Amino acid sequence: MRHQVNIQVNNKSVAVERFLRVTRHRGFELVNMSLASADTHYRVNLELESDRPLYLLTQQLTKLVEVDTVEVVSTQQRNASA
Amino acid sequence: MTGAELLIDLLAKHGVKEVFGYPGGAIMPIYDALYGAPVKHYLTRHEQGAGFAAVGYARSTGKLGVCFATSGPGATNLITSLADAMMDSVPLLAITGQVPTAAIGSDAFQEVDVLGMSLSCTKHSYMVERAEDLAEILQEAMHLAMSGRPGPVLVDIPKDIQLAQVTYQPWLAADDYKPEFCQAQLAIANELLQSASKPLAYVGGGVQAADAQNELMDFLNKTQMPVVSTLKALGSVLPEYDYDLGMLGMHGGKAANLAVQDCDLLVCIGARFDDRVTGNLAKFAANAKVIHLDIDAAEVGKRKPVDASLVADLKDSLTELTTPLTQSDWRAHCDKMNADFAWRYDYPGELVYAPYLLNKLSQLMPTTGVVCCDVGQHQMWVAQHMKFSHPSNHLSSGGAGTMGFGLPAAIGAQIARPQDFVVTVSGDGSIMMNIQELATIRRNNLPVKILVIDNQRLGMVRQWQQLFFDGRYSETNLSDNPDFVALAAVFGIPGETITRADQVDSAVEKMVASNGPYILHACIDDKENVWPLVPPGAANDQMLTEVAK
Ligand SMILES: Cc1ncc(C[n+]2csc(CCOP(=O)(O)OP(=O)(O)O)c2C)c(N)n1
Repeated sequence: MRHQVNIQVNNKSVAVERFLRVTRHRGFELVNMSLASADTHYRVNLELESDRPLYLLTQQLTKLVEVDTVEVVSTQQRNASA
Repeated sequence: MTGAELLIDLLAKHGVKEVFGYPGGAIMPIYDALYGAPVKHYLTRHEQGAGFAAVGYARSTGKLGVCFATSGPGATNLITSLADAMMDSVPLLAITGQVPTAAIGSDAFQEVDVLGMSLSCTKHSYMVERAEDLAEILQEAMHLAMSGRPGPVLVDIPKDIQLAQVTYQPWLAADDYKPEFCQAQLAIANELLQSASKPLAYVGGGVQAADAQNELMDFLNKTQMPVVSTLKALGSVLPEYDYDLGMLGMHGGKAANLAVQDCDLLVCIGARFDDRVTGNLAKFAANAKVIHLDIDAAEVGKRKPVDASLVADLKDSLTELTTPLTQSDWRAHCDKMNADFAWRYDYPGELVYAPYLLNKLSQLMPTTGVVCCDVGQHQMWVAQHMKFSHPSNHLSSGGAGTMGFGLPAAIGAQIARPQDFVVTVSGDGSIMMNIQELATIRRNNLPVKILVIDNQRLGMVRQWQQLFFDGRYSETNLSDNPDFVALAAVFGIPGETITRADQVDSAVEKMVASNGPYILHACIDDKENVWPLVPPGAANDQMLTEVAK
């Protein structure tokens, strides 16, 4: 499954390492990412690939102290040829 | 005041009276601030010992455990204890010294990226970048370690910030977020409870973390529901409760594991369906509906789908469950299994039988005492054959299963609870992993009792080699162990060695009656195994029991 997730985190560089570590460790492959700095925050769009249900990741991301919001934009079945 | 003085001052303000640690270059200003301070520092002989002493301190009291280490190797030595505290949700504050801010990133002497290392083994971590942030970070760190699901928090403080002039500003948690469970889920949970005919409570470490033993016992006493416990929950269910089936899982009792497979409603109370608990997950409580109570939303549905969940403090959620009396035929069935599969201690032969010895120790020691243990067969025998009246009286490395845990954890527990009897049960393998802490016992004249169950093997690994690796005993022979009683004697600790069953009673009596530290070295059969055992990948009702030695 392909997932689009937006998160908002404190703009401390360790916060980026932290959510990327959790993403990898919980079994989600990073396909695409964009990060924009906005006053006290980073806005991050993640595109992720995994066979695991997405809530297993979002619940873990939500727990991170530096993560303010986690928003699931879309989830779609990968097309067979991809 | 300096940053270092602020740290000590804040600890004192938060009621931290004892800390554990080991000094070095990058943390010297903090050690200087400790000199003559109201916070007492205990010098361990390895940073891992300091970390585990802090874990023992925290787990035996429910208070924050605090440990200090210097940069580089000091900090890396702490990591195992942080990982252990993370797995077992122990509230810990780790303070590490760091090279001065200007030197960070230059591969300075004893520079390691501790913040980077901490990411996978702490609940949260900081490196202080500006002196003016120090007060807030430290207060937030203490709050985070203790709140919600507890865990270890690390604060890495560069040396220049320890030396900088700072001011104290009180900090209050912005919104003390307290999860509230959903009423619709509560309604579903209560319906499930009403309609269940074979309900079973499955209790985990969350009961201790939430300080919810009373609420648990109220719930059980009203429902008379049979109950099983994880390793970490042992002691949560009071020994006098009639329908306690004991520990479940890989080395759980038969009654506990069979009841789980048979139940039609599993009420999971602060537990997380760990793989050592569930065995083959698809076959675990396969016919049961599940209600999950936990403060950590990420545990709900992580391993097993649930039918209702209450994400909240157990103190709040447990009291909301309606409590119909459990049907008497199910209770009677569980009761009968308890009787049919009761542990037996009539062991033939002249050698020391560890389960008998531990059961004896449990009977003879004060019920308010603390039992720590290491990891291996002896750990499982402690869990099976000793009784506890509170989870803070049984300190066992659960999630991480860290050999070397027991001795330093016992030191922390003894310092936290100086009036209480504290014993650590170890194996001849595990005891050597933090043996240097005998020096900490000696220096502080701590009356910690040490029981070494010696099978001259890395017994648990040997057992798996016997059962699952064709008896190819690779690197598990410890028949050249040192003389443990002589070793302890060098540290001024008296003790004795026993080898025969007829020596057990009096040896245990003598250890329990001794005033100071004491070591009892009990030699057992090197082929003894832990039973029952659910083989890896099997369902929990497919347990193996005693096979020929
Ligand atoms: C730090 C660490 N290293 C390795 C292991 C793997 N391990 C688990 S049990 C065990 C054997 C423990 O031997 P001992 O302390 O003598 O206890 P016994 O099983 O014989 O009672 C080992 C090596 C571990 N749990 N922890």
